[in-house]
Amino acid sequence: MENDDFKLDQEIVAATKDVFSTMVMMELEDGPPLIGKGGEIQSNISSMLGLGGGVRGVLAIHCPADVAKGITGAFLGMDIEELNDDVKDAIGELTNMVAGNLKVFFANFDIDVKLAIPTTVIGESYHTSGLFGATRIVVPFCCANGTFWIELKYMRSN
Amino acid sequence: MDIKEKIVEAAIEIFSSMVMMDVSVSEEEVNDSGKLKDTITGLIGLAGTHKGVLAIHIPHPVAMAITSNFLGIDVTEINEDVEDAVGELANMMGGNVKTVLTGNGRDIDLSLPSTISGASYQFQTSKDVEKVVVRFDTAHGPFLVELQLEK
Repeated sequence: MENDDFKLDQEIVAATKDVFSTMVMMELEDGPPLIGKGGEIQSNISSMLGLGGGVRGVLAIHCPADVAKGITGAFLGMDIEELNDDVKDAIGELTNMVAGNLKVFFANFDIDVKLAIPTTVIGESYHTSGLFGATRIVVPFCCANGTFWIELKYMRSN
Repeated sequence: MDIKEKIVEAAIEIFSSMVMMDVSVSEEEVNDSGKLKDTITGLIGLAGTHKGVLAIHIPHPVAMAITSNFLGIDVTEINEDVEDAVGELANMMGGNVKTVLTGNGRDIDLSLPSTISGASYQFQTSKDVEKVVVRFDTAHGPFLVELQLEK
């Protein structure tokens, strides 16, 4: 399942922009995708959602604190002072929605992808890792509050 | 069927057969994984008839000991080998848990495993989720297994 066949980097951009324009009312500018290993992402909050079935993978949104607060504020229509439950729930929900768009995308190719539930990690100092034979695509997005990253790791199941 | 009992059974089985390490359930009841320090977490998603996440939170010294057992070499830092070992542990636990939940395990799919590692982080639950956390003891220190299932 090569990225070239599915143009997943483009689909990630489309899926994310769709969610952010309709639900967050936020304009995004996508940056050049990073395909493969490497690329340390500095973030304070990461929401991750597992994909199973036709594709085995993990979708994640990684945000620095200020960006997460800005996105949540726009999503909920209020001022967010700290990385609280609202932020955790908002970023988790956005991850769920982007994954939902990817599910629909794969369904167009008769690939049935099942979604798990989002979990969110909040911290001063952590990094996410683990490829386990999957292909990794990271797309940076620029919004009014700064940059965040969408990361998709995936492999085709049998 | 008590899910906590089944998590305990799965962990003991995997640790004795694959990791060659004695583990026992801690006396201490834990409701929340809380603030994790110098820890590495292996996680895997469950999707299908049951939706959820299984996470195993392992303090660095315990993770290095586990990896040393797995690979038969001395591991003294949190490197890619440790990340792979912890992810694989989550994968194995996930496999056991899904069979426990559905009898044959066929109606639940596992996601790709992932690892999170760091000096300080917190693992959060979503809303509408039932959570079970079990603390285990080993000769090298404790670790936690956390199962979150959508209600």
